[in-house]
Amino acid sequence: MNPTIHTESLGKQFGRTVAVDGLDLTVPEGAIYALVGPNGAGKTTIIKLLMNIFSPSAGHAEVLGIDSRRLAGKDFRRIGYVSENLEMLEGMTVGAMLDYFRPFYPAWDRALEEQLIRQFDLPLKRKLKHLSRGMKMKAAFVSSLAYRPSLIILDEPFTGLDPLVRDELIEGLIERAPETTIFLSSHDLAEIESFSSHVGYLEQGRLLFSEEMSVLSDRFREVTVTLSSPSPLPVNLPASWLQPQTVDCVVRFVHSRYKDQATAREVTAIFPSARDVSFDPMTLRSIFLAIAKSNRGAAPSTSHQTTAQERVA
Amino acid sequence: MKQTLHIFAKDVRRFWPEILISLTITAAFAWLYPNQWLPMRLSASPPRMTNQLISLLPLLVPVSWWLLISRLIHAERLVGNTQFWLTRPYEWKKLLAAKLLFLVLFLYLPIFIAQCLLLVAAGFHPLSYLPGLLYNLLIITGIIVLPLVALATVTSSFARMTLTVLGILCGIAGILILSSYVNMEPFTVPYEPSYSLALVLSLCGAAVLVQYAFRKVWLARLLLIAPPVLFICISEFIPGSSLSLIDRTYPCPASTAGAPIQLSYGPDALHQPKAYQARRANEVGIDIPLKLSGMGEGFAVVPDGVQISIESPSGPRWISPWEPVYMTDYLPEDKDSNVNFTMPRAIYDELKSTPFSVRLTIALTQVQAVNSTRISFPAHEFSVPDFGICAPLQWMPPLAGIICHSPVRQPPLASVSVLWSNTPCSASQTEPGTVVQGVGWIGKLDPDAVPFGIVPVWEFGFILTNEFQDEHREHPRYLCPGSPVIFTRYKLVRRAQTSLAIQDFHLPALQ
Repeated sequence: MNPTIHTESLGKQFGRTVAVDGLDLTVPEGAIYALVGPNGAGKTTIIKLLMNIFSPSAGHAEVLGIDSRRLAGKDFRRIGYVSENLEMLEGMTVGAMLDYFRPFYPAWDRALEEQLIRQFDLPLKRKLKHLSRGMKMKAAFVSSLAYRPSLIILDEPFTGLDPLVRDELIEGLIERAPETTIFLSSHDLAEIESFSSHVGYLEQGRLLFSEEMSVLSDRFREVTVTLSSPSPLPVNLPASWLQPQTVDCVVRFVHSRYKDQATAREVTAIFPSARDVSFDPMTLRSIFLAIAKSNRGAAPSTSHQTTAQERVA
Repeated sequence: MKQTLHIFAKDVRRFWPEILISLTITAAFAWLYPNQWLPMRLSASPPRMTNQLISLLPLLVPVSWWLLISRLIHAERLVGNTQFWLTRPYEWKKLLAAKLLFLVLFLYLPIFIAQCLLLVAAGFHPLSYLPGLLYNLLIITGIIVLPLVALATVTSSFARMTLTVLGILCGIAGILILSSYVNMEPFTVPYEPSYSLALVLSLCGAAVLVQYAFRKVWLARLLLIAPPVLFICISEFIPGSSLSLIDRTYPCPASTAGAPIQLSYGPDALHQPKAYQARRANEVGIDIPLKLSGMGEGFAVVPDGVQISIESPSGPRWISPWEPVYMTDYLPEDKDSNVNFTMPRAIYDELKSTPFSVRLTIALTQVQAVNSTRISFPAHEFSVPDFGICAPLQWMPPLAGIICHSPVRQPPLASVSVLWSNTPCSASQTEPGTVVQGVGWIGKLDPDAVPFGIVPVWEFGFILTNEFQDEHREHPRYLCPGSPVIFTRYKLVRRAQTSLAIQDFHLPALQ
């Protein structure tokens, strides 16, 4: 199966600023891929590179099997794109906007359009410039979902929306998931955790990891080791142990390469006096916080990014 | 095509107010502008304020286009990365075609119709001047429409475009001021508008295509900025860059005998060199009398520019820049004329007590009479072949004149000669007692190139009554009904340089 999105060493520089650095990314068909990372990590730049809004400075990307630099015109009949800062036809009513976009897409599904309008409770006769931010996003969703695109790209789609609107949009999105591939960026982990199948973590333009959500959840564990007596942390702990800390007889850390028995043996080997060891599953938010804090705690150096990747991959 | 029409329809629905404004101004222009033409202005005498507003209409038409073009292009703007259309199935060729279709229907068609109506109002049949009208639209494209479209494609909003246009206008004004500081009245050779037009069309067209096809904003901006800046820098600020152009346009004949006219230094009792204060305080104007000879019958010579070279055994050697010559022509019957130039006061002060050699180099255009049309000064409108429709003007007798309307282009260069009477016209007067011949030049030497004009009718008039003054009073001369008026059309023969050396020239005292 060909990946829907595939990038190789993709890079983008604005002057001397490196926005995206050597991005290797694969989004399989049918995935709901969430690209997460802090503000300024380069998520929007990556999406604009994929959409041929920006030209890459290095490497290349393929979207639906097409070189992103050649993506144009009819190719966008198969792509739905919604961005938090996308300009819209503000002077038009919602109905006029949908009327305008409809002829561009041979596969436009009028029934689906009407269903989405009802689902989102969109006021067709109101001008877009008079709509709230949430309503505008709903209108953008309808105009990007009604033609059943093969790929839906969403750039921070839920930022600044109230929980009700966000849930409505996610619900509309999930309904489309079986027939499409969804690639979305977000800095809010909670909003994507519930429905993403894949996740990638971006920091300072580099992808620290990219994998299936289930694999990620399986891989990370919050480890609590109870020792028989207080003792300092050993030096040279494995790189995959993030944020190790000790309080009296208890040592806590996040294990980024958890493998059931093997990890238990590894912990016991380092803490022979352990009275009890527990491995607790983590939420996505906890995982990313651990990664982020771990990276911030690392000494800045030229090999910083490599070190970060080694720790979490 | 379907997508083109779809985008076009969207733009029409969205920009109907801008369309309405532009159409209203164009319609007002077509309807009201003929009131500006002199005979009508005199007969109808609309209020002065109305006249001023009407005279603004040819300026308001392009201003309305400015708004229209900005709104149209910025609807799918090409600068930025957040536009909705970038990720929709827009095809750039169809988008561009939609914009062009809009301009054809709401800019070109209205102005074309307006120009046809103005021709009709002036008494011309538009179909007879169709090629000229279409070529005029091409010039309007090169001078107004395409530059505005190109600017709109490299800016993100009407405000930014306006600032850019104002910046460009300030830049041009600055260059002109700087240029005039370097050279007060630069002499420019007659240029080929078609070359400039082709250059503007190519550069602006390339910028527009680059933007629509690739959205390479900086490349498009470079295309728009670099060539004109380079051209201005070379032509204005690199000394001598225009000299080769002058030499090419006005080649030196192999011998003085081959010159279109023989010039010699000719002071006599009536014609003496003069020195006077020039417009600038640190410059002195010098007037040198010349004797003319060697002009063939039916020819005329128009001096376009003059350059002075001064050599003194004891003092500095000074070469003036080329200066334009205004309001002078040499006809076969002219035996005396003069040439004037300005020189720095410091040089004048240094040389005024010493004789020196001066060499005058004059750039000349030789023209030849092609045909003449003789009419009697009429009472009503009359047609002059290859020229236009003219009418007599006598609104403040004895001041008399002729006002002519020429279709689409300026008329070919022509001399208009009349016989003035020194005595008032009277019913009994059939032959003027004392008559004086008066000659005026009108029209352009290169009439093939249609000059730029929102107004397709060229209006030009000339007063035919010669008032001259003596020490005591003004003496009017009269142009009487029935007096002969002769339009003589001229064609270009050649352009050439001729020079004249004057030995032991003494600068006259400052008057």
